[in-house]
Amino acid sequence: MKTRNSPVLVFALCLPLIAGRASAADDNWRNLSPKEKDRVQRNYQRWQSLPPRDKEHLREEWNRWQTLPQDQRDRLKQRYDDQRRDRRRD
Amino acid sequence: MTERLKELESACKDYEEDLVLHYYGENSEADGKRVAEHLAACGRCRLFVDDLRRLLPQMAKSEEMPQSFWDSYYRETVAKLAEQEERKFWWRSWLVPAQGWLVPAFGTAGVVVLVIGLLFGKGNLDSFMERSPVKIPQEILVDSNQLEFFKSMDILESLDHLEQQDGTKSQPNSTTHTDRTRYYRGVA
Repeated sequence: MKTRNSPVLVFALCLPLIAGRASAADDNWRNLSPKEKDRVQRNYQRWQSLPPRDKEHLREEWNRWQTLPQDQRDRLKQRYDDQRRDRRRD
Repeated sequence: MTERLKELESACKDYEEDLVLHYYGENSEADGKRVAEHLAACGRCRLFVDDLRRLLPQMAKSEEMPQSFWDSYYRETVAKLAEQEERKFWWRSWLVPAQGWLVPAFGTAGVVVLVIGLLFGKGNLDSFMERSPVKIPQEILVDSNQLEFFKSMDILESLDHLEQQDGTKSQPNSTTHTDRTRYYRGVA
């Protein structure tokens, strides 16, 4: 009886963990704006098709980006947005 | 029988009760002596006691029933008791085959309800249903740092170029610079 119910018990104990994890993932995803969601999906799709070397490069850039001061990051973001806007206008 | 009862009534009124007790041997010693003395002298009361001896055993006598009657009586009683018991706890018959797995099943069902409650309880059923068409692994969705990475990937691809325009580009690492240039050219 004990042995027969063990998998059920383990499953029952693991369910809250799985649910908690799913809930955290949902929270992160929910907190994104529709535009951001779209960008994440697009970039993830692109990321999957990138060669490992480019992936590595992007990871390096990401690490560097995180070490940049906040004001510099804001400035670079602003510049990037401006350029995109200009490109779209052209 | 009525005639007999009339005969009983013919005992002396004062002794009638004591005579019945005398018949059953329940008189006190003094009363017993008194009644015995009276019986020796009173013929009516002697007849009354004789009638008691004759009639009372017949009244108490029960009809002898055959063994088959008692067997059948026992079977019927047991069947009726079982039926009554069954009627009282009819719902138990549903649970008997389920006793082995009922507790874990209810436990699991409870946990599943809890999980569903956690998932949908925040009033965000719509956002839960609105899953991305591109299947993004949970590992990424759970990690906000990873999400931020994919959110900023466009900028990261242009980071070199943006920094050069901004004039803030630090001396690039010699090992990665060529890669960066090559990559930027590739995606731009």
